[in-house]
Amino acid sequence: MTLPRSFKRALWVFHVATGSCNGCDIEIVAALTPRYDVERFGIMLTGTPRHADVLLVTGPVTRPMRPRLERIYAQTPDPKAVVVVGGCGSTSGVFYESYNLVGPIDEVVPVDVYVPGCPPRPEAIIDGVVKAVAKLETLERTVRR
Amino acid sequence: MSGISSGFGTWNPIAWGLLVLGIAVIAFALRATGRRDYKKGTDQAKVFLSGNEEPPSPGALHVRGRHLYWGMLDGLDAYYRRAKAFHTGIINDYVAWFVGGLALVGILFVWVG
Repeated sequence: MTLPRSFKRALWVFHVATGSCNGCDIEIVAALTPRYDVERFGIMLTGTPRHADVLLVTGPVTRPMRPRLERIYAQTPDPKAVVVVGGCGSTSGVFYESYNLVGPIDEVVPVDVYVPGCPPRPEAIIDGVVKAVAKLETLERTVRR
Repeated sequence: MSGISSGFGTWNPIAWGLLVLGIAVIAFALRATGRRDYKKGTDQAKVFLSGNEEPPSPGALHVRGRHLYWGMLDGLDAYYRRAKAFHTGIINDYVAWFVGGLALVGILFVWVG
């Protein structure tokens, strides 16, 4: 597996909410505001997973969202990284073992980075995305050897 | 090859050919910026519909020309429903409407005149 050239230029991120309360989603939006301005690093939200390098997933996975999350993951080109934002996505949080959940996100798709918090601050989200990129670059070097 | 000039403008096939060639080069340059690393024949090549499965009829979710008139059609829905009911496609009905309308106009003429 080799990383596309886009990883050296910019990182396109697709945001999926699988049942969150929108707290984490607001923090993701905050990361795009002038105060944090992730676009200066080349990190940009995209409107389709087909153009994305990283999936940012928030919230525990509700039953209706399971096939949709699986489809979105399958539609993202390889290599890809999945970053879970928030405590609900990481462990189901306060909704643990709820009848309407299929579990945290790693029960549905493989996860590379967890950013816990309720909600996590924008700095933590940016750090999580950067860690995902570092993980992919490490994977690239391993494959080259 | 010389072009044609008239009071309305100029036509030169070479100039038009160059224009089409230029547009094609720009189109291919833009297309070349797309990602080539997706896997063909998998979900990565399918249309993204907010995570929803594409329906068996692909046109069901696509925007079509008639959707431009959606506001007008929806606003005048009561009128269109009644107007469509008249259009039975049976010639006898249309002739009956014509004869009925003609008779009504005739009565009005006699009544007013």
